[in-house]
Amino acid sequence: MIPLIHREVVEKNHWLDDETFLDGLAASQSCPGPIAVNFSVYIGMHLKGFWGMIVAVLGTVLPSFVFIVIIAALFTQYAQLTLVQKAFHALKPAVVALIASPLLQMTRSSQIKPAFLWVPVLVMILVAFLNISPIWIILTTIIFSVLQSLWQKNRSE
Amino acid sequence: MLLSMFLTFCKIGLFSFGGGYAILAMIQQEVVTKNAWITSSEFADIVAISQMTPGPIAINAATFIGYRQGGILGSVACTLGVIFPSIILMLAITLTYIKLSKLPWFQNIFQKLRFVTLGLIAAAMILIGKTAFPDFFSIIIFVAALFVSWRWKTNPIYLLLGAAVIGMILG
Repeated sequence: MIPLIHREVVEKNHWLDDETFLDGLAASQSCPGPIAVNFSVYIGMHLKGFWGMIVAVLGTVLPSFVFIVIIAALFTQYAQLTLVQKAFHALKPAVVALIASPLLQMTRSSQIKPAFLWVPVLVMILVAFLNISPIWIILTTIIFSVLQSLWQKNRSE
Repeated sequence: MLLSMFLTFCKIGLFSFGGGYAILAMIQQEVVTKNAWITSSEFADIVAISQMTPGPIAINAATFIGYRQGGILGSVACTLGVIFPSIILMLAITLTYIKLSKLPWFQNIFQKLRFVTLGLIAAAMILIGKTAFPDFFSIIIFVAALFVSWRWKTNPIYLLLGAAVIGMILG
């Protein structure tokens, strides 16, 4: 998706130069929420201010919004059909596989040290079995990371 | 009702780090466990549909759940809710020209969150898996899909369409 945005915004329309594009990409990746939405806020603001931002966000969200509303309406109507139920019977395990596959790849590419493997395992147990909200886990992680950075800075000074 | 849907998805949007899969567990907890707007089986259906359609999973799920719960207005409320925090935060970042990504303490947060993200994705897999395996057929589909997507990196849309067709014929 990123190469697609780059082609449209930088190569074709020359709305942003490469450096501005990369700064925006970095910001969009670190801000919570879908990268596509974050990036459209950035690009819209750069081009035409507040209203540019609104238009850009609508442009990003509207196509899938309309699509999903239509599908949701159809699904509500036809969910009871045997054929549809049969399809979803096979879709559900396939979805689990589609989550498992990138999980395996991400675990490898994250180069997580065996000594830290307890972190994802603990998170998984807390969320999936003990019903602890990911919100608390994310907040705890953020606070811990900031304290750790402060501590390391203090020590090096 | 609409307001509480908006606020619930605001909360989800505010803490959606680590991409689509990482926030599925949070959506499941908020929407299925806490508010009982949909059942966990419906949630698995919605995740399947969100994966087959273009656009970010978080937004697709919000739109779909909103529609199930409150029609068109519901889907508008949930979709706006899930993107509202990103818009405000991104506005702040863009307007202040903060290069957050260059601050060491900020980078440290994301390095640590990466490990948490793995756990959150694993949790989503388990939560959705709970309703996905009623019989042996489902296990075969799971193994086959995992193999195909691992071995050939098949586009998820084709893989899911294939699974749906197999389900209709054999399921």
